[in-house]
This record gives sequence, structure tokens and C-alpha cells, in this order.
Amino acid sequence: MTASRGRSLGPLLLVLLVTGLTVGGIYWAVNSPDQVRVFLVRLVLISLVLFLGILLIRYFTLLWFGFMQHTERDIGERSDAELPPVSIIVPAFNEGAVIGAAIESLLALDYPTYEIVVVDDGSRDDTLASAARWEGRGDVPVRVFTRSNAGKATALNLGIANAKYPFLFCMDSDSTVEPDCLRRAVVHMEDETVGAVAGNVKVVNRDSLLTRLQALEYIEGLNMPRRAQGFLAAVNIVPGPVGLFRREALEDVGFYDTDTFAEDADLTLKLITAGWKIAYEDQAIAWTQAPDRWLDLIQQRYRWTRGILQALRKRKRTFLKPFPDFPLWLSALEMGFEAVVWPMMNVFAHLFFAIVALLFGMGELLLYWWLLLTLLDLAAALVTVSMEEEEISLVPLAVIYRFFFILFLDVTKAFAAIEELFRFGMGWEKLGRTPVLHAEEGV
Amino acid sequence: MNILDILITIIVVTILVTIVLGVVTYVAYKLRLARRPAARDDEGGTWYFERHEPGAGG
Repeated sequence: MTASRGRSLGPLLLVLLVTGLTVGGIYWAVNSPDQVRVFLVRLVLISLVLFLGILLIRYFTLLWFGFMQHTERDIGERSDAELPPVSIIVPAFNEGAVIGAAIESLLALDYPTYEIVVVDDGSRDDTLASAARWEGRGDVPVRVFTRSNAGKATALNLGIANAKYPFLFCMDSDSTVEPDCLRRAVVHMEDETVGAVAGNVKVVNRDSLLTRLQALEYIEGLNMPRRAQGFLAAVNIVPGPVGLFRREALEDVGFYDTDTFAEDADLTLKLITAGWKIAYEDQAIAWTQAPDRWLDLIQQRYRWTRGILQALRKRKRTFLKPFPDFPLWLSALEMGFEAVVWPMMNVFAHLFFAIVALLFGMGELLLYWWLLLTLLDLAAALVTVSMEEEEISLVPLAVIYRFFFILFLDVTKAFAAIEELFRFGMGWEKLGRTPVLHAEEGV
Repeated sequence: MNILDILITIIVVTILVTIVLGVVTYVAYKLRLARRPAARDDEGGTWYFERHEPGAGG
């Protein structure tokens, strides 16, 4: 009881502090002398232009490199004889409702030689029984292990230790894959400097506004940067639902570490540090179930933000030393910008501009600024949805995406970043699950 | 009140309400987290790792 009270007290004090600073700032601005008010107005003008400038640079850089990746993505077909054997690792904790669909999709892969290794991480539901049902049912060997609960990274490491092939495909047990997913991803491994291939994660449950907004977010907000990084073979997060690894690369970096909440980001940074290239394959598609409740979504993003910051904290010296590890420096910088700097800037800028618009009558300027942001988001949504040959009906959602969704999530990301900065305690909490749909039913 | 003023009002109000909602949801999430019991140590400190034998049941 005392511990839980302690856990909630820190964040509540944080909220009170931020609210106090905001109210104090407004009071100060209203009661400040004319000279200060003129200074504030100029500051607002410069900030508006700067914010828009940074946003424009970010969007056009990502779109341009993403487009380049899109035009050069054709990697050709390979015969079965040319494809190396692959071990598939599926860690699972309390995923009894959905793991059957994951294994079923793996058994339907269009791939000549592979095995499936499921590691039940001490689940308290029927995950083990659900996975065990698939053992010995087809030509593809399915092996199921069970262990005392110790976290996803440890489960992945144990699965890898019991896998026999030179390439390892790691996926989440709440996801399903397209039949050609592995065939597409493995081709990048012909380049022996490639240590991992990141696949394309899409939202499968698109039956509510919340999950449809996340479907757009995955395309525009997550896959667009990954596609751009893919052009430079420097993807900075190989996502949990779909990642192919070279065993030699994982041995080189010592497999997954267990000291962060974002083991995928941490491992990717380790691979980049060791000099491995990370490719992106947009046709290696995995379908994941997005949270369909607001608090679950907040919980997921809170965990992502803190996990990424933990991975970056382990490499804090990197930020000051661009050389000799320039790719790592660039990846860490980009990761830090996307996960922390940009969300905090977004919240601060919106709050600042809205308050100033009210206080100093600059509403018209705010309106045009906001319209430009929305136009940019609409354009980015149109381009990325087209590149991914996705549902065009997702594009108009970019207005709600800009108007509400991103800002709403960025508030949590900003608090998560502050909490991680002050090293507030953090516990693991499982997302609620409803049985996942098959890929073809979700689209 | 012309159309421009209405649009400005909608944007300002939406921005402020969104931020407030974001803060309230964050607090609700932290409260939910605090109210949940800490994870049980089901294994009583024992560590195991074993292969499931097909046909042995879950």
C-alpha cells in the first residue's frame, strides 16, 4: 500500500508542478510591463516560424528518403533452393487468446525450411496449452518451451539458444504475418553486412476510431521514418512484431539485454554500435492488434517512451561524440528526437501558442499556423498511404490526427520522459487482449 | 462573430481541452497502476525452464 502510494505520488506532484508553472507563466505574462509583452509577441512569432520550419524539414527529409526507398525496393524473387533455413522465435506472456492465430499464420508461411520455437514466459492463462496444440500437427516443427516469468528479453534469448538455424525471425505472439513475410525479409541478408531486417507493422483491428487513428499513425508516424532510415540501411528500431536477425550478429552483440523496457530499440542500437547495417523491408508485413482502450494506449506509449529513453541512457556518451560511430550517433539522435524532443516540443508549442493567442489577440496567426500543420499532415498521410497501397479512407483522419490524437499522446510521452529523467519507479503491466482477427478480416 | 473567429475559438479550445484530457488520462493511468496489486511471485522463487512434451497437456 505504501509502495503504491509512493508510485502515484511522484507523477501527481509532477502534474501539479507543470500546472503551477503554466498558470504562473500566464499570470506573469498578463501582468508584465509593455516592453515584456512586446518581447513575448516577437518570441511567439519567431517560435511559430521555427516550429513550422523544423516540421517542414522533418517531413520533407523523411518523405524524400522514404520515396527513394520505395522506388528502389524491388529486390526480386528467389527460388526455394536459394532461401536459407530460419528459426522463428515467439515469446509469449498471457497471450492465450491470440497466440493460436500467430502460430497459424506462421504455419501458413510460403517458405521452404523453418522451425517455430515458442517460449511461454510463465503465463498465468492458457498460453502454454494454446501453443502446445500446434506441436506435431504439420510438416513444420513447432517446439514449445515454458519457463518461470522473467520478461520478454530473457524469453527471446532462451528461444534463440534453443533454435538451430543461422537466421532468427523474432515476432510478438499478439501478431500475425503475411505468407510472403519471411521470403521478402530474408533476401536482404544476402548482403553480409546486414545484421537485421525490420519489417512493416500494420494495425489489424480497425473497427473503431481509436484503432483506425493508430492504423494511420503506424503508416505515417512509425513506418514513414523507418522507411526513410531503411534507404540508408540504418533503421534504429527493429520492431518486436517483425524482425529478422543474423545469428552471427546477435552473438556479436551478446543477444538481448534485460535492463530496458524497449528491448527491440536497445538491441538495434547495439547492432548499429557493432557496425551492422539494419535494413527495412516494407513487404515483410506483420499485423498487430492495437490497444482499443484509451488507458491501454496510454500505457503502451508510456512504456515505449521510457524504454527508448532507457536504451538511450545506456549510450548517453554517444550524443557528445559523433565520431567514430557516426551511424550510431545519428540513430541515437534521431531516436531521441522522435521519442522525446518532438513530443515535448509539440505539447509546449501548442500550449504556448494557444495561451498567447488568447492573451495577445494573435488568434488569426494561430489559425493559419494550425492550417499549415494540418495540410502538411494530410499531404504526408496521402503520400505514405499511397506508398503502402493502404486504405485511402484513412487519409481524412489526418485532420483528427493533428487536431487531437498526436497532441493527446504527446502529453503522456512528455510526462514519461520527465519521469525517466528523474528515474521514477516503473512496473510492468500487461495490455488487455481480445482475440485477434486474421489479417484478411482486418482490412 | 465571423467565421474566422469561430474557427480560432474551436482551435484554441480544442488544443487546451486536448492537453487537459491528456493530463487527466495520464493521471488516471498512474492511479490505475497504483491500485493494481504488485505482480505475484507465482514460482515462490524457484526457476524453471523446460520443453513442453507433446501430448502432456498444458
